[in-house]
Amino acid sequence: MIRNQLLVCAGGACITSGEKSVKDVLVDELKKNGIEDEVQVIETGCMGACDLGPIVVVYPEGTFYQKVTVKNAGLIVNEHLVKGRTVGELLYTEPASEKRARTSGDIPFYTRQVKRVLRNCGAIDPLSIEEYIARDGYFALGKALEMAPDEIIRILLDSGLRGRGGAGFPTGLKWKAAREAAGSPKYVVCNGDEGDPGAFMDRSVLEGDPHSIIEAMAIAGYAIGAEKGYVYVRAEYPLAIERFEYAIGKAREYGFLGRSILGTGFNFDIEIRIGAGAFVCGEETALLRSIEGKRGTPSVKPPFPAQSGLWNKPTLINNVETYANIPQIITNGAEWFRSVGSTKSPGTKVFALAGNVQNTGLVEVPMGTTLRELVFEIGGGIPGGKKFKAAQTGGPSGGVITAEYLDMPIDFDTVKEIGTIMGSGGLIVLDEDSCMVDVAKFYLGFTVDESCGKCTPCREGTRQMYHMMERICDGNGRDGDIERLSKLADVIKDTSLCGLGQSAPNPVLSTIRFYEDEYRAHIYEKKCPSHVCKHLLTYSITPDKCVGCTACARQCPVHAITGEVKKIHVIDQSKCTKCGSCYESCRFGAIRKE
Amino acid sequence: MELDNVTRPADQPQPLSDEDRCFLRELVETNRVDHHGRLSYMDIMFDLEHHYGNSLPGPVLGEVARLAETSPAQLNGFVTFYTMLSTTPRGKHVIRVCTSGPCHVSGSPAILSSLRRLLGVDIGETTPDGEFTLEGSSCLGICGVSPVLMIDDDAYGNLTADDLPRILDAKRSGGAQ
Repeated sequence: MIRNQLLVCAGGACITSGEKSVKDVLVDELKKNGIEDEVQVIETGCMGACDLGPIVVVYPEGTFYQKVTVKNAGLIVNEHLVKGRTVGELLYTEPASEKRARTSGDIPFYTRQVKRVLRNCGAIDPLSIEEYIARDGYFALGKALEMAPDEIIRILLDSGLRGRGGAGFPTGLKWKAAREAAGSPKYVVCNGDEGDPGAFMDRSVLEGDPHSIIEAMAIAGYAIGAEKGYVYVRAEYPLAIERFEYAIGKAREYGFLGRSILGTGFNFDIEIRIGAGAFVCGEETALLRSIEGKRGTPSVKPPFPAQSGLWNKPTLINNVETYANIPQIITNGAEWFRSVGSTKSPGTKVFALAGNVQNTGLVEVPMGTTLRELVFEIGGGIPGGKKFKAAQTGGPSGGVITAEYLDMPIDFDTVKEIGTIMGSGGLIVLDEDSCMVDVAKFYLGFTVDESCGKCTPCREGTRQMYHMMERICDGNGRDGDIERLSKLADVIKDTSLCGLGQSAPNPVLSTIRFYEDEYRAHIYEKKCPSHVCKHLLTYSITPDKCVGCTACARQCPVHAITGEVKKIHVIDQSKCTKCGSCYESCRFGAIRKE
Repeated sequence: MELDNVTRPADQPQPLSDEDRCFLRELVETNRVDHHGRLSYMDIMFDLEHHYGNSLPGPVLGEVARLAETSPAQLNGFVTFYTMLSTTPRGKHVIRVCTSGPCHVSGSPAILSSLRRLLGVDIGETTPDGEFTLEGSSCLGICGVSPVLMIDDDAYGNLTADDLPRILDAKRSGGAQ
């Protein structure tokens, strides 16, 4: 008889924080107390609050233990399970109120979330198909197989689901086009090439709830008339590949994949194909070439994959988060799906909170949630009492949302209006210390590296833009650079072959739009207002604060600081490499950075 | 599929032995069957890297192209497109330091410079003892514990420069975490 369950988060982040050894301690302690038959230890997918890992949740109470280590994991068994006493030191303490939270329901990070895509992540053992079935898994597949394919597509159209990969194209229309396309065989593809730096929702779903993707792809196969599916996963995600592979095997064993699924005569099977470090393969046509065993370069659309995709056959391609919505839409209906979110962008969106924000990790909220709720209520605000400056969305294809838009509901269309994109949901919070020119340069550098080289505007254009940005950050900006950047950006947007190039200038354009004054300061005053761009900084010593402790002189790698003990020190500007180690080492705040 | 790790002397591609040919034929045929006639080149490449010490020797690629009925140029084009594959010899373990945004902000440049110092090699280079190759990587998707790196298939997070010697030692002696 099982009286308690210990849910141990085995998401990628918690594993790196020592989840395996924590689990081993728990199992050992259970045995020592002779209660291993009464308490079940379950390794789940990602629970989302990655900075609190490793996380252990005790059920039925739902007690949420965070930052568990090998040293204190035993307390959960010996105190909580044996003596019935909650282990106070492992509970989460709310920084503002200093209150201890007992369950995840007491933690603001969780309470404001609406879990649909992530409903099973962190709640079930991803390796157990039985647990997935117990949460109504594969019910939607059974239901779908009793419906006419057109009826399924009708539900999707009614639901208003839009592709979660970035552009927000209506999913139902994609399915309809693939169904109506002439040609056979047809293919179903899942885009798991989550390359957007800082976005990891797809990884979490593949690792934490792989069966939801298998189920959705089987439904898609039935709806468009395909018997074969491919899941494209990046080799950077070995755990996702391993768990998904396992899940495919289980689904075959249970008859949810293979021949005549659920006795209906419908055949469908899935294969994994691996990507190997090419960002552009997240672009759908490039991804299809990569599956075919070619260089992952994009091709001109039209023809769209729905008409001519994998091996020139009609192909339906959606991303992981989009598929993860499908089974629940089929089970609960279009109306249910529309019950949260905004009119034009119904449903939820998963964001990966990162950067200068208190709580990082994955959060799922209704579309139309404001940035203020995301950053301040769920994210817990900016650490160190600093001011919010902007949030970067859409990674290298996106731009910034500034403080004046904190109360704007975020959905596909609103973010587009202010020059950024939703992207796959990466949301990097920037505080007042961030230099927007430097941020834009960083993202542009990424695109330069990842441009596949097929079309000239992207290959050469982004490189030229990057040179200009570099010049500006190095203090060699010239009059007219802003105009030149904007002009070149427009050409790249208009003439690039695929989405990568067409969106590559966005980080620059968006930051010019909102922070032109910072660009001007770099170019005309040779100053970086946020003190980030190294070449525009000068370090000097404030004489009244210097006590002559010699700490800075000892740290300086180029011996640019001179001065005797207990006498005021001086920095030789001609030698200074602006590494900042004097600034870090001074305990008296005597080093001035400007 | 687990294959024995056969380390080759670096630099010079050796002519293929009968054993190699036999191994390659079987690898390609198994892959063809496993993937219902549509070869998965990426799986083949990863199996080859596993077998030939983390890199893809030219003669091996030539033989695979022949077996797969494609041209060596086509296959070479494929291999050189993907940053995780390598035609130059690499060490026993490949260290991939995440260099993307969130890790950059939380300290990956410092991790990289510590590794450069500890290993005495730069990005893209292999230590003289053939143990480690240092590489940069795109986002590893565990940004919640940034900065992160991955050695072979094991990820390490919340890194500080002090953690690195211990991690490297564990890898040298064959352990994981």
